[in-house]
Amino acid sequence: MYIYLPIAEQPIHSLAILGVGSFLGLIMGLVGVGGGFLLTPIMMFLGIPPPVAVASVANQLVAPSVSGVLSHWKRGNVDFKMGTVLLLGGVVGSSIGVVIFNFLGKIGQLDLVIKSSYVVFLTLIGSLMLSESLNLILRKRKGKVSRGKLHQHNWLHGLPFKTRFRKSKLYISVLLPIFIGIIVGILAALMGIGGGFIIVPAMIYLLGMPTSLVVGTSLFQIIFVAANTTILQASQNQTVDIVLASILLLGSVVGVQVGSRFTNILKGEYLRLILSTLIILVSLKLLTDLITIPSDIFSIIISR
Amino acid sequence: MKFLTSLHILVIAFIISHDVKAKNQIVADLSQENVKITTDFLGAKILLFGAYDGQKGDDIIVVVTGPKGLVTVQKKEKVFGIWVNTKSVNYINTPKYLNISSNRDINKILNQKTQKISEIGLNNLKIRLQPGKKVQKEKEWREALTRNMLKSKLWSLNENSISLNKNALFRSYLSLPSNVITGQFEVKILHYRNSKLISKELSTINVSKSGVSAEIYNIAQNYSTLYGIFAVILAVLVGWGTNLIFRKV
Repeated sequence: MYIYLPIAEQPIHSLAILGVGSFLGLIMGLVGVGGGFLLTPIMMFLGIPPPVAVASVANQLVAPSVSGVLSHWKRGNVDFKMGTVLLLGGVVGSSIGVVIFNFLGKIGQLDLVIKSSYVVFLTLIGSLMLSESLNLILRKRKGKVSRGKLHQHNWLHGLPFKTRFRKSKLYISVLLPIFIGIIVGILAALMGIGGGFIIVPAMIYLLGMPTSLVVGTSLFQIIFVAANTTILQASQNQTVDIVLASILLLGSVVGVQVGSRFTNILKGEYLRLILSTLIILVSLKLLTDLITIPSDIFSIIISR
Repeated sequence: MKFLTSLHILVIAFIISHDVKAKNQIVADLSQENVKITTDFLGAKILLFGAYDGQKGDDIIVVVTGPKGLVTVQKKEKVFGIWVNTKSVNYINTPKYLNISSNRDINKILNQKTQKISEIGLNNLKIRLQPGKKVQKEKEWREALTRNMLKSKLWSLNENSISLNKNALFRSYLSLPSNVITGQFEVKILHYRNSKLISKELSTINVSKSGVSAEIYNIAQNYSTLYGIFAVILAVLVGWGTNLIFRKV
């Protein structure tokens, strides 16, 4: 069944969108990350103009994040203090991101920047995840699983404005999570992502947060970053397609719930192996689009 | 429905054809004068039909022109291994929809000069570069414009697509693609005899957004911040709602 998207100004098969939404919701429920950074490129592959894809995916991300936070909250897996500090940075960052987005649109390089940021980040995250999960699988086969320290201390923890985060059992500078928030916010607005795939590793490796709290807390801050991006994109660029976002979010919220129910059954490292392969494939496809000679080196933009 | 309309058309065509014969003119009508872009819009196909005072060797050309405006042509070049848009040229006064149809090859109906004067043919449009701008190898850019407009199905050239019936009736189909631009479309039906224009008829098609899809578009344009806030609230409610539903399962 085709449905005409009022902002993208083109019809699209609603079942295809619903399917993509549920599939990514499932991944999000299983791994805790992976909504936006796969969804936006897939929307672009389906022919949605990149600016509309980025803004509408930001909109849809709000729903599974709300749903996810509520279930993590029930299990006590959200550090609200850390989440609030991160989201303050995130709101600032995403506002900067929308300004950059506008500027790139004006000079006609938006598509290029969106696509190349995806190539860089997806390749990076994909290969990191791939090597980590392979390592873990190999180590488990050998039967050596070592438990390290709670977290490593490094110079980043020595910055001023030290604050205690009781829930995370951390005493670190408040500047660090704010800074992480800003960077993730900028990327979120530019790429139509919640930033989970950047913020989750950052929380584990840079902040040293306990892994159990990471997913819930990142989802908490994603709600606000995605909401801020949506409102700014809507008011400044009119690129939020509410029909597209609604179909996507209907699929994704169900997917998240189903996925989170299977997290205990499937082994995390195998899951990450599959996901990282998927990420690398998407990034390869985007890279090929950028480096192969286009069928026509000329293209047109019809102003509305 | 389809049968009814064609029957209806046939009857009207026969009635008017009697009138036309006497007065040496052409009359035509469209199966649809208002095209509404609604949530189930997949493009539209419009039947153009009419009667003319035909003799052997008469020709008919139909030119449908959509709203005109700015179209930018971009050129990609390889920069550090990546294909990047490096140059762009703006064309003003460019029709964002164009459909030229005829009963036979236009070159057989009119000579090049007449085609140019009457702006018939994809290369005879009065499209201009933005004033004050000069481009090297302008022809290459202009060809790229035509090629890409044809590829997007917004422009089309359909020679031999008009069927003439016993030199009295004619019909033709116009297709509007799903990415069509809204606005007023001008329909020109031209009747030629020995390369001379002997009669013509003008008509218009209105393409507009309608229903829910139009409402959403207007709200997004006019109340953009409120629209954004509403989009967020909707997402929050759906997220919260599913959580309530699944908690009980």
